[in-house]
Amino acid sequence: MELIKKTNFDFLSYRKYFYIISLTIIIAGIISFALRGKKNFGPDFIGGDLLQIQITSPVSSATIRNYLQPLDKFQIRVQTVGSLHNQFIIRSLPNTSSIILTQLQDTIGASNIKVLSNSVISPTMSTTLRNKALIAFFIGLIAILIYIAIRFEFHFGITATIATFHDLLIVMAFMALAGKTFDSTLIAALLTIAGYSTNDTIVIFDRIRENIRKTRSTNYMEVFNKSINETLSRTTLTVCTVVFVDLALFFFGGEALHDFAYALLIGFVVGAYSSIFIASALIISWQKKNPFKIKL
Amino acid sequence: MKNHYIRLFIIAAIIGLCIWAIYPVQQKIKEGLDLKGGVHIVLQVEKPLNIPHPNMSDVTNRALEIIRNRVDALGISEPSIEKSGMDRIIVDLPGVKQPQQAIKIIGKTALLEFCLVSDNQQKIAEAISGKVPKGYQLLYSEKRNANGVMEKSAPLLVKVPPELTGADLSDAQVGYSNSGFPVVSLTFNSKGTTKFSDVTSANVGKRLAIILDGIIQSAPVIREAISGGKAQISGNFSLSEAKNLALVLRAGALPAKVKVIYKQIIGPSLGKQYIQDAIHAALWGSIVVVLFMIIYYAGFGLLADFALVLNILMLLAVMAVFKGTLTLPGIAGIALTIGMSVDANILIFERIREELKLGKSPRGAIDAGYHRAWSAIIDSHVTTIIAGIILFYLGAGAIKGFGFTLTVGLAANLLTAVFITKSIVDYIVDAKGVEKIRI
Repeated sequence: MELIKKTNFDFLSYRKYFYIISLTIIIAGIISFALRGKKNFGPDFIGGDLLQIQITSPVSSATIRNYLQPLDKFQIRVQTVGSLHNQFIIRSLPNTSSIILTQLQDTIGASNIKVLSNSVISPTMSTTLRNKALIAFFIGLIAILIYIAIRFEFHFGITATIATFHDLLIVMAFMALAGKTFDSTLIAALLTIAGYSTNDTIVIFDRIRENIRKTRSTNYMEVFNKSINETLSRTTLTVCTVVFVDLALFFFGGEALHDFAYALLIGFVVGAYSSIFIASALIISWQKKNPFKIKL
Repeated sequence: MKNHYIRLFIIAAIIGLCIWAIYPVQQKIKEGLDLKGGVHIVLQVEKPLNIPHPNMSDVTNRALEIIRNRVDALGISEPSIEKSGMDRIIVDLPGVKQPQQAIKIIGKTALLEFCLVSDNQQKIAEAISGKVPKGYQLLYSEKRNANGVMEKSAPLLVKVPPELTGADLSDAQVGYSNSGFPVVSLTFNSKGTTKFSDVTSANVGKRLAIILDGIIQSAPVIREAISGGKAQISGNFSLSEAKNLALVLRAGALPAKVKVIYKQIIGPSLGKQYIQDAIHAALWGSIVVVLFMIIYYAGFGLLADFALVLNILMLLAVMAVFKGTLTLPGIAGIALTIGMSVDANILIFERIREELKLGKSPRGAIDAGYHRAWSAIIDSHVTTIIAGIILFYLGAGAIKGFGFTLTVGLAANLLTAVFITKSIVDYIVDAKGVEKIRI
């Protein structure tokens, strides 16, 4: 079977539109992030409690919220888990979950509540967790960028780096716009994306190099378009297989993996997109403005 | 020709080794705390106020020893108690039944007491029958037996309130007696010196029990009245026993306060739910990928699927050998590896297709396909492996598990894609003399 036969799209002539699309998403993400303030961050970054409970008879999350009305100062957020309406995740300020649990036990009856999980993260600990996650992220990112710098010639290296940052910003924008929280899990997803998204860029650049060597052409626009078309089938297929698995994690993997799978999903798709419309396109734009010869 | 068989033999050997490494799965691959359920806590050891420049590392070591004693007393199998940095202690208690109570016990400040042991036979008999006389307590000492299980000793009846407490002690060190046996030397502070002098002079010949958190650590006999504030416990103990006793005494002399700064309790039912969901998702994901590869690449797809299964097998084998634990993000890592592992094969197969279109023979197309795709495969794997390694080394908690499975999965993938599928393709094309290939 072959889904993508020989194609001959002119991807790069429309590059300006794609720059605009990407920039718009990133700016929207930044605005959304700025407006949400502290709500952007998960408990492992700013401290906070999480209580996951199961109740014998189903109720709405509004009812739970109502029960907890007197404890409003704890900044309680209630989220329903699953479709049975009997599991809830209750987030609140640090060291308040035991009071919340007592309040619920008094209202519904202690025997009707089962505590599935409970985490208490004090601000001291969240500082450590946050720093640890950020250090891991930056060391990882720098290592990946060093590899790119060693492996590619100057212009390819710079644009591949920009494409990587582009992917990370777009994923963060989608997280902010979807109201998801930034935490250690997201950092892990971001680093994975930084590693994986260079994948497609590398394959396309590899082909560009090969084609330039073969044809000795300096009509870069043509060689680039040709290379992208030649690797299009492969780019699409590999993104598809990893997205299949990720969709399975997203839909069946349960609450705990939901946001992680969401971030990766955006990252994988954007990684493929940026290898064509950002990484390759930027070299052409750069070349048009400031003609240079690509060294092999 | 011979070459083919050697390579196929190596592949069979790898499969055999992997299966041997992971069998039986339940024993070889340990579930992380998030899947098994249990308690994970981080304790912050606070600076003792009565000492101007405390050596925090030492203070933490003492607190650690106390916590170890308490965890042992709780009877939890496979606990993990680790020092983290200068002043933090990480405790993992898998499968603990009453998590809140366990945390309370662990977080208590240590209590060291010195109590006189009663030798009144009548009172001892009463106490053992269940009626402990007023002003007394029936206490035990605990020791690990040869099988590692905690056992209680015969009880001792001690007088309460205690004669002295940890607050009266200033130091305890291991030394050697004149005859060369290990002893523990105690130094009392000025208040302690007076009390100790009173107790010893009034009770020569009796035993004075050293009790930490309600458990008797030692019960030496008072040989003479001691007034100088310095005492020596000698006995039939080994050097390590003496060191341990000194540590317990020092810990009790300077009880460090600990504060729980992070606590995570996962009920066993939630862990089960996590496993179910994650495995469910991984299965669905792999079924789709496996079918997709067969539909898209026919026989070559089947080969890629074989490589995929082998890949997972190798990943689990490495995990079993290195005693890695399987966490929820770890399962997600395995699932992603499934999605990424066909990547290398797709790269190769697409290349073979292109080469065939250029009119090359099957042999030539396959060689060119593997050869040309190689640099792209390496490059594309390396960056993701970098991310995986960093997450394994620097990630917190369960994220480590993700870094581990991602790194090992991708490394295994390099081997399967390049060596294993290539060997099988070579064998089929050469040995069977294939003229035409469908891909």
